[in-house]
Amino acid sequence: MAQPAQIQPAPSAGAAKALVRVENVVKHFPAGLGTSVKAVDGVSFEIREGETLGLVGESGCGKSTLARLVTQLIPVTSGHVFLGDVELTRMHGEKLRQQRRQLQMIFQDPFASLDPRMTVGDIIAEPLDNFGVLRGRKRNERVQELLRLVGLNPNFNNRYPHEFSGGQRQRIGIARALALNPKLVVCDEAISALDVSIQAQIVNLLEDLQQKLKLTYLFIAHDLSVVRHISDRVMVMYLGKIVEIADSVGTYSSPKHPYTKALLSAIPVPDPKIQRGRRLVELSGEIPSPINPPSGCRFHTRCPIAHLPTPCADNEPPLEEKVRDHLAACHYSQDV
Amino acid sequence: MTDGGIVTAVDGVSFDLHQGESLGIVGESGSGKSVTALSLLRLVPDPGRVVGGKVLFKNQDLLQLTDDEIREVRGRDISMIFQDPQSSLNPVLRTGFQIDEAMLAHGRPKAEAHARTVDLLKQVRIPAAESRVKDFPHQLSGGMRQRAMIAMGLSNAPQILIADEPTTALDVTVQAQILELLGDLNRELGAAVIMITHNMGVVAGLCTRVIVMYAGQIVEQGTVEQIFANPQHPYTWSLLRSMPRVDAVRHERLRSIEGIAPDLLHPPAGCRFHPRCPFRIEKCYTDEPVLEEHGPDNLAACWVTMDRARKEMGADDLVDIRPGAGSGVHKGQVK
Repeated sequence: MAQPAQIQPAPSAGAAKALVRVENVVKHFPAGLGTSVKAVDGVSFEIREGETLGLVGESGCGKSTLARLVTQLIPVTSGHVFLGDVELTRMHGEKLRQQRRQLQMIFQDPFASLDPRMTVGDIIAEPLDNFGVLRGRKRNERVQELLRLVGLNPNFNNRYPHEFSGGQRQRIGIARALALNPKLVVCDEAISALDVSIQAQIVNLLEDLQQKLKLTYLFIAHDLSVVRHISDRVMVMYLGKIVEIADSVGTYSSPKHPYTKALLSAIPVPDPKIQRGRRLVELSGEIPSPINPPSGCRFHTRCPIAHLPTPCADNEPPLEEKVRDHLAACHYSQDV
Repeated sequence: MTDGGIVTAVDGVSFDLHQGESLGIVGESGSGKSVTALSLLRLVPDPGRVVGGKVLFKNQDLLQLTDDEIREVRGRDISMIFQDPQSSLNPVLRTGFQIDEAMLAHGRPKAEAHARTVDLLKQVRIPAAESRVKDFPHQLSGGMRQRAMIAMGLSNAPQILIADEPTTALDVTVQAQILELLGDLNRELGAAVIMITHNMGVVAGLCTRVIVMYAGQIVEQGTVEQIFANPQHPYTWSLLRSMPRVDAVRHERLRSIEGIAPDLLHPPAGCRFHPRCPFRIEKCYTDEPVLEEHGPDNLAACWVTMDRARKEMGADDLVDIRPGAGSGVHKGQVK
């Protein structure tokens, strides 16, 4: 298979340093009969210190796989992931485990991600126990501090997960993720399972914690309104590729990729006057199979502005800077 | 009935649906919106029961019909589509056959039913409908399965189509297509649509009238314009302000609704929203408000209403909303 074109990471805006750098990362899962699912197929980007990088895309585009690659929960097929100056993709075993303290995750389902037989205190302290950081009274104090931090009663540490509502459980998951003072927190659909009124509480909490603890977030969600709200920059994925990265204002007000534009037009706006006047950019057909993705630009089979057969079906457009700090992978981004 | 006692999932809900209109029922999980819809067709699963009230469809009380009679109504006069098209379709039967079945059950001849199935699939814009009828559900994508479910729902030309979160399991681009389809069908076929959803954006595009539910009761109903532009119930108002909008101009902190929805085993006394309401007054703790008219075509169940909260409690200037903040009844504070 042809290697994807070498892509340089985006030049940083201002002085913000890259906390995580991902270079040409590929993840293929074997799918039998010598085929493979090309879940993530050559992506490069950086997550800057202190920012919230949003990651959006439809189901099956590879966003969760990418999250697991960034945290090195699964090994890459090829490519590199750096945390600061350290290359995680070269590490194994205990060394990698020690690095993972810096990288924590918050998961989608607050019911499935907490062990029902452990007390809330033990759940939150599990990372501390795993790394043998704090013991005895200090450990319990830390648990109470974390509970307070996420807006729960510190005396709840002896209770069990079933005694809590979905929003409260998500707070427990956040407290656990923060126990080791991580640098990067990956929120994989962390609020998708919650009701609207509870979502707002958790989004506000995440924003407060980011300020207080100088956290960096990779925020993955399929709800583009929430991603826009919380993110400094937004990255859009389609079929294992990044099609656009820009600051959230740029992505939403002047998208440079037709897929981003279609995605944005599809989100209902809670205002009848505006919603009725909006035009949907219809995408023809269905998302192609990641086992056998289309040639050239992967979006060309559904793209409303594709020039066929060439260049769109022949050449893969590189992810390049279209305007300052706004990258897109499209041959005709000026027509979007 | 649960281990803990009787849960009154839906409590004294009344509304009417006009011919050909599209009505949205919105609420969060546990607000009773799905149970309301299931009650209309007597589909509430055991051990649940509809213990009182009437469902009048063309002057006939559906709750009084025999099992055979209600079966005639279901799928013919009133049909329903559900959230998850994956589990609503039988995986071992061909999709086309399952749509045929819906018509055979109501006495349509087999050949005619089969021809109509292909037409229906075209109508819901499934490409290559002639060959797709022979597909099994797993051969269709999620969006196409939901289209097939809609085709099934429409097969007997019902007067009411109830859609219970039909797009929640779908991606946004597919959701937008399905919503457009439902809107077109509503206009072209004249079938009334009841859209049950937690997504205010979905309602804004599709519906003409909206019912807002909270803790098993209707707290507000009105036209879609009124509900979005001038909501009268503090819950509706808070809900609209707690959602980030994709067309937002600048970053504003979300106004969350503090606390959680009540446990319906022990609903709070007085107004069920009072423990979370920024504008509660003494009366709200003890007296249950009823739905009253607060404007043309607007009903709200609130002792205060947003008109008064704006005038007397400075609702528009509240930045952080704590329960009781606006009226100063409780220790809630305005930051």
